[in-house]
Amino acid sequence: MIIESFKHNMAAHCESGTLTALLKHKGLEITEPMIFGLGSGLYFGYLSRTPNLSFPMFILRTKPGKLRKKIAKRTDIKFKTQRFKDKDKAEQELDRLIEIGIPVACQVDFYYMDYIPQWERVHANIHFITIVGKEGDEYLVSDSYYPKLARIHKDKLRKARFAGGYLAPKGFMYYIESVPESVDYKKLVPVAVKNTINNMIGVQPPFIGVRGIRTFAKKLQGWPKLTRDIDHLSHEVMKINIFLEDQGTGGGGFRFLYATFLRQASEILNNNELDDMSKKMMEIGDGWRNISYFAAKIGKNRDLGPEKLQELGKMINERADAEEVFYNELKAVVGNI
Amino acid sequence: MKEKDAYIDYEPQQLIMYVEKEDGTFGPIQTGSYITKNYLDDFWEKMLKLKNSLLEQLKKNEITPIYFYKLIHDFNDVELARRTGIPVFKVKRHQKVKSFRKIKLSDLHKYAYAFDVPVSNLFQAIVVEDNENKAETDVSKQPIIVKQTRTENPFVVITKIEVNKK
Repeated sequence: MIIESFKHNMAAHCESGTLTALLKHKGLEITEPMIFGLGSGLYFGYLSRTPNLSFPMFILRTKPGKLRKKIAKRTDIKFKTQRFKDKDKAEQELDRLIEIGIPVACQVDFYYMDYIPQWERVHANIHFITIVGKEGDEYLVSDSYYPKLARIHKDKLRKARFAGGYLAPKGFMYYIESVPESVDYKKLVPVAVKNTINNMIGVQPPFIGVRGIRTFAKKLQGWPKLTRDIDHLSHEVMKINIFLEDQGTGGGGFRFLYATFLRQASEILNNNELDDMSKKMMEIGDGWRNISYFAAKIGKNRDLGPEKLQELGKMINERADAEEVFYNELKAVVGNI
Repeated sequence: MKEKDAYIDYEPQQLIMYVEKEDGTFGPIQTGSYITKNYLDDFWEKMLKLKNSLLEQLKKNEITPIYFYKLIHDFNDVELARRTGIPVFKVKRHQKVKSFRKIKLSDLHKYAYAFDVPVSNLFQAIVVEDNENKAETDVSKQPIIVKQTRTENPFVVITKIEVNKK
């Protein structure tokens, strides 16, 4: 059984990409940046004390699942979500839905997606894929990070859906029950943007938002003490590039995706000020991209002395300054809508 | 980011990036991964170095297979405990050479499941010399392939060594 009507497309980010593809399949024309923006996906957090992490890391989007929850809360889109304790029941329910032609999004451990190149695959229980068919022992997978429909053996999918650990999927899956005929963007855009502004410059702990960016710049200087050797430090510094560019961000740590959301919102609302903000956000993203290039270069050259890390920290602090100004301006703009 | 600056010609790893297009609109392009195109060799080199260093320590009985795979998979003790269902204090203990001798087979089975290897691989290192001298450790490109097939017996695996025909 293959759901032929499902159209596979790559997307910048797995969660917003999966959501967009399912909504389009259900007949609602909406773009990935719009989903990301309306779900207030943009974020920053520097995580150094999470017990499950073997090394500090930073996040650039809200917690997995939050995007869908916010979209559900803010629009009339109805989702059916399910979690399972029993692996057999989880598989049976998935098969049943596929059989009646419903594409289903599943949360999985990315490591087990064996159609993805080996160097990309890491253990991360926060990946979303859409199952769009089953042939024999293989499922057909629409993965935002893969150019065409992929296949995965049922045993691998089962393992990926029930991997333990931090944010364990526990067989989580969802599909869309109904979508509204249209979305009231005029009402939703200001609400969603204000939420993002609050996440970035509102009252938050010091490791979240713009303050979190500054914490990252500061704590980065201590990374050499946390690593086994120079290769380990190089690996962790080069991961800055991966987090900003390759791990489903759309480039520049989601800033390009958010800039596109602001551009689309400005067109829908016919608001020139929002258009100006979209250009500014694109420039902020360019700065993040420079950071990712720089991190990759010094990591590769093992040029990781205090001076280079300070230089990297300075570049990160400049982003914090630029973003602080940006969100204050955006607050004024959105206040006038 | 301007479209012309964003495009990376690298087919093995494609991704979507949002850019400013030539006509001034913002939208997605499909492009290649910058870091993989330029720095993949460095990644493999580091991985191979880490694996070889850990293997040497394993051979000298300085570390346990649990510690070996924990580092390869980039887990810490808490994450490994959650993935196996084994308490953290035991996970810590199982990484000590003396304690590993007393480990239960049922616990080994849980570790093997979390590390996605057969239980037998916790007691052996399969080394193919033709593959070993290459910095690139992408399995699909290695001249010799080691295929391990599970059986109905959870503790028995069939290991076949084949020439890569690709």
